[in-house]
Amino acid sequence: MGLVLAAEPGQVHLTSQTRIVAAALALFFMLMILELIRRDRLQERYSVIWFVAGLGMLAGAAFPGLLEVVANLMGVRNTNVALFSIVLLLLLGLALNFSVIMSRQAAQITRLAQERAIEKALAEKRAEGDIGNGASGEEALQPEKQGLEG
Amino acid sequence: MRSLVFIPAWNEEDALPGVIADVRKAIPGADLLVVDDGSADATAERAREAGALVASLPFNQGLGAALQTGYLYALRGGYDVCAHLDADGQHPAEEVARLLAEVTADRADLVIGSRYHAGAVAGSGDYRPTFSRRIGTSVFRFFLTLATRQRFTDTTSGMRAANRRVMALFSRHYSPDFAEIESLQLAVRQGLRVEELPVRMLERAGGSSFLTPLRSAFFIFKGLVVLLVGQFRPRHVETE
Repeated sequence: MGLVLAAEPGQVHLTSQTRIVAAALALFFMLMILELIRRDRLQERYSVIWFVAGLGMLAGAAFPGLLEVVANLMGVRNTNVALFSIVLLLLLGLALNFSVIMSRQAAQITRLAQERAIEKALAEKRAEGDIGNGASGEEALQPEKQGLEG
Repeated sequence: MRSLVFIPAWNEEDALPGVIADVRKAIPGADLLVVDDGSADATAERAREAGALVASLPFNQGLGAALQTGYLYALRGGYDVCAHLDADGQHPAEEVARLLAEVTADRADLVIGSRYHAGAVAGSGDYRPTFSRRIGTSVFRFFLTLATRQRFTDTTSGMRAANRRVMALFSRHYSPDFAEIESLQLAVRQGLRVEELPVRMLERAGGSSFLTPLRSAFFIFKGLVVLLVGQFRPRHVETE
């Protein structure tokens, strides 16, 4: 099979059967995403990229010639190589995107934990009437204001 | 001049009460805060029994996040100066008092207690680092000196004192993974006066170092990446 493809560059070998299977998969994929959003398991802002991927799959199944055009643009003779490269790059981009989101959320969680720890400590300090902690309760009541002034 | 001493602690129920008592004795004028970094043992309870105020992070966030909590508390609380030391009993509080005095006298914005500084070795033979720690120390020393063009001997020291400019900076930017080294690089790049002071340190009272050879190698590699990336960070003009 590989040899046949190599011998006839520029030809996309998709039978109508594979095209139907690919289109069905793409539709199923997009329905799944819709369902996830409907059940609040996936937020809309993170779903856009997946819909684009689903549409891409559908387009590829409907018009196999598209892939050939893209392969030519990339300067790749074998359309299969072009397809895998594109998918690989997309997945890499997605993974990076997730790392960025994860980093931001990790920072937010940390800050939330810190704020909560400080709040609780200040509440404790107030409740104890500030025994053995030097500063007066008044000062502890206005931490924000003092921080801004300083 | 209001000062805060904070102690980041993670599962240090054995050593912590001694450290708190030491700080109370050596620095009686300062407020004391223990930042409990999601300890599974009785660290927070021991700290309260010893009379310290405790800020408990709901889950373990790492040393950097714990230290940042302390800086944030100091900034919000309107403290003029703050200092922190390790909870494991390696840092004598009287040495911390010397660091605080340095910042209070406004000779520096950030003062690091160094166990390797020329002046430190003469005074005591108390502290003996392990082999892998010595390698890591010299690697970081070399690259941090290269990055900041300022000589540092003890890059990973957890005994420091700082003023409000540093509190403002560190409560905003503080690497959760590479707290000690990156914070030095950051402070120097922001144009803050960072200074090392030779101090005496002790063997750890309890627990063992987390550094095995393999982890050390990874630690060093990660540190170098962090330092390299840090060189490309923008220099913010701090507004406080």
